[in-house]
Formats: sequence, C-alpha cells, structure tokens
Amino acid sequence: MNAVRGILAVAGFQLRRMLSPQRLVVAVAGAAFPAAVMLAARRIAGGLDRDFGVVLLYALVPEALCLLGLLVTMCPVVADELERGTWQHVVVRPGGRRSLLVGTFLAAVGWTAGVALLSLALTLFAAGLDDSPRLAGMFAVLVLLSCLGRAALFALPAVIVPKRALVASVGAAIVVEYLAGFLPAVVNQVTVSLRLRSLLVEWMGWRRNLPESLRLFVDDQPPVVQVAAVLVLTAVLLTAASLILAFRQFPPAEEA
Amino acid sequence: MIEAIDLVKHFRAVDGSVVRAVDGVSLSVGPGEMVGLLGANGVGKTTTMRMLATLLSPTAGTARIAGCDIRTDPLGVRRSLGYLSATTGVPDRLTPREVLCSYGRLHGLAEEGLGERVSRLLATLGLESCAGRPCGRLSSGQRQRVSLGRALVHDPPALILDEPTSALDVIGARDLLRLLAELRGTGRAILISTHRLHEIERRCDRFVIIHGGRIVGEGTRDSLAGASGSLEEAFFTAVAGAEG
Repeated sequence: MNAVRGILAVAGFQLRRMLSPQRLVVAVAGAAFPAAVMLAARRIAGGLDRDFGVVLLYALVPEALCLLGLLVTMCPVVADELERGTWQHVVVRPGGRRSLLVGTFLAAVGWTAGVALLSLALTLFAAGLDDSPRLAGMFAVLVLLSCLGRAALFALPAVIVPKRALVASVGAAIVVEYLAGFLPAVVNQVTVSLRLRSLLVEWMGWRRNLPESLRLFVDDQPPVVQVAAVLVLTAVLLTAASLILAFRQFPPAEEA
Repeated sequence: MIEAIDLVKHFRAVDGSVVRAVDGVSLSVGPGEMVGLLGANGVGKTTTMRMLATLLSPTAGTARIAGCDIRTDPLGVRRSLGYLSATTGVPDRLTPREVLCSYGRLHGLAEEGLGERVSRLLATLGLESCAGRPCGRLSSGQRQRVSLGRALVHDPPALILDEPTSALDVIGARDLLRLLAELRGTGRAILISTHRLHEIERRCDRFVIIHGGRIVGEGTRDSLAGASGSLEEAFFTAVAGAEG
C-alpha cells in the first residue's frame, strides 16, 4: 500500500510538471500534426483509400507520435532529477528509486497516451474514414500498448546512461524496434512493433490477403497473445530498469 | 543515534586510478546533539553524508542511524532520517503545501492526518503565509525552509544536513540555524556540514574536522580552539597538521 502511495505521489508531481503552459502548447501542436498530414494527404490524393488511410494513421499516431512523446517524457527520468537536484531528495525515501521510476513511467504513459488519443480523434476526423468509431477503439488499444511497451523500453537507457538517455533511446528505438522488429527471426518476438503490426493486420482483416513476402513481418498468434506479449515485455523491462536503478550510484561530482 | 564506523569510500577515476574520497571516518551524534562536520570543498563531507543517507554504498565500514545499519537495513535508515542539501531541488510549479504532501505520501504517510501534519510543519517553518504560492516565486531562504520541511515531514529522529546554508544570505542562514537549534531541542540528532565556520561556531555541541577523507580533529569548540580561542584557527592548524 505504501509502495502504491509513493508511486502515485511521484506520478502526481511529474504530471504537474508536465502541465506547464509551454508543454501544453507543444502537446496540442504535436496532436494536431498527424491530422494536418492526413488532411494534406487527402487533399493531394483527391480522396483517401481506406487501407492507405489506416496505415498512415498507424504510422503517425501509435508509432511516430507515441515514440516522440515518450522520448520527451520517459527518457529524462533520472537525468532531470540529477540536474534539478531532486534526485537525492527522492531516493533518500524508502522505495524512493522504485517510486521515481514507476511513477514517472505512469506519468509518461498517461501524458503521451492522452496526447496520442487527442491526436487520434483529430486525425480520424481529418481522414473522414468509414467506420471511425471501430477504428478509434482499435487504435486506442494500439496507442496504449505502444505507450506501455515503449516507455518501458526507454526506461532502460534512462537508468543505464542517464545523461545520454535521449540519444541511447533513439538508438534503441531504431535498432530494437525498427531493425530487429522487422527481422524475420526470433529476435523480433521481443519487440513492441511486431505485436502492434500483427494486431493491426488481424483487426483490419488483412491477414488473408497479405502477400507471402509480407507475412514474414507479422506474427500468427491471436490478438490476446499479442497483447499479453506487450504486457509481459513491459513488466520485464520495467523490472530490469528498477533493479539497475536500485544499485545505481552517483558520486557527488556526477550530479552537477 | 547517528554512528559512522570506519567508513571508507573509493571511487574509480576516469584514468583508472582510485580516489580515496573517504578513508576511515568514524563519528557519532547523540539524541539532542548537533555536530558540525567541517572541511573545505572536496574533502569528503558530502560523500560521508551520502553514505550515511544510503545514497552511496560504502567501500568498507558501516554506519547506524537510529539503530538501523546502512548496509543491512537501508529502508530502516531512510525511515529514520531527514536529509537536506544545499541544492533545494524544490519544484517551481508546486506550492510548499503540495511539496510537503507529496513527500509525505512518498514516505507512505496516511492521507488522514497528513494535511494537519503539513499545516503544523508549515507553521513551525514560518511558511504559513506562502503555503499556497508556487515555490518558484519564493526566496531562496523560503525554498530552503520548504526543503527542510521535506526532510522533516515524516518526523525523523536524525537529520543530516549537507551545507544547508551555502545558498542563503546572512538573514536566511540565521533563521535556518535558529530553526535547527529548536529541532535539536526536541531531541533530534543533527549532523550538519559546512565550510562557513562562523555560522555554526556557537550553535554546535561538537565539531569534527575532515580533510583528505580523514578526520583530523574532533571535540567541542573550546577544546578545539584551545589557547588561540578561535575555532577557525584550530581548523587551519588541524588541516595544516594533516597536510604535514
């Protein structure tokens, strides 16, 4: 119970930090960007093919926007505290390190998912696709899974190389999510991108007509397995990050 | 209440050499006692205090806070300890009340009674009038008092204060030290580090002088000052003696 209170306390003050006027403006601009791209695509093409619209929506919101949002909110979990001088005050509490990591994780997921869901609504409106309510529900699940999995992935570089967390996380996103994730090998099983793609293909009913060459890039398991895989991956990555952080030490000279 | 036993901390430098930041420090602070840890910058004061606060693990030796060992019971240490540093790290957008409530929750304090406890603490710290103002609009003295409140929110029996006055002006420092004297009166053990000797010369019960990671002098003001009558003089003599 105390652990939950500590985690929620950190999540609360991290969200308060994120609710600055400047960040809200950036969030609204970020949310509007995919809608603007969708609108432009619709105008240029003189209409929008449904499948193309769905793929574009997928690339813009659960992939690009969620990744960018989490890079900004999750990566600085340790570096920001060191820079602001709050690190020592938080981690000197019982369970402080775990509260800091998990609380920031919750705040980052909440904030990014909020922005992405707003963007989803705007972009769906801009796309003018049929069956928008069903697509909204489907993409909302993809957004949540994307946020959970990627926030946990970015937690690792954030605790291993706090001062280079942004660069390391971009590297991890490229190497793990978009290189390993597209390798038709066992390694892609531990990526979020494979799970999200597979869910998209399944829920859109594209599997039957998928060309043989593209079948290598999606998984055959049912949706419940894909969802469970993302949740397990999230738990494993967060636990690993939490263990690393528990033993991490910063000499006074490193804090400046 | 606060007891360090032969604490050692070595760091590995970038060039691979070993830096002996703290080299066998032993000290103790009893209940209702305020002990000043004196030393120049970079002599091991902060590293010692961070080991006591479980922020750094010692290379050798150990320490006990309120009977809890820093190696075997770090959670017990954290429950019994209030820690304050020169860097207040108080969030600009939160009010003092919000900061203290957040840290109270981080300590697992029950929601019922937390508001009342925080109100009492704000009154003790003289922060009632600015309790609802964002910390970003407070003076550095007020921010440091918020930081002290953060260290006291769980009512710890021991306090470790790492250069708490270094960012304060004369008046802010005097007010903070008065508050600390009152806290000592409530039976808390207080270990305070500083390199501004004049500020705490008349306020601490005992002093420990540290140089090069080792203790080079220890005692009451009068026993250290001796014939010269000056703590500052005694400090320079101890440091010069250590440097050979």
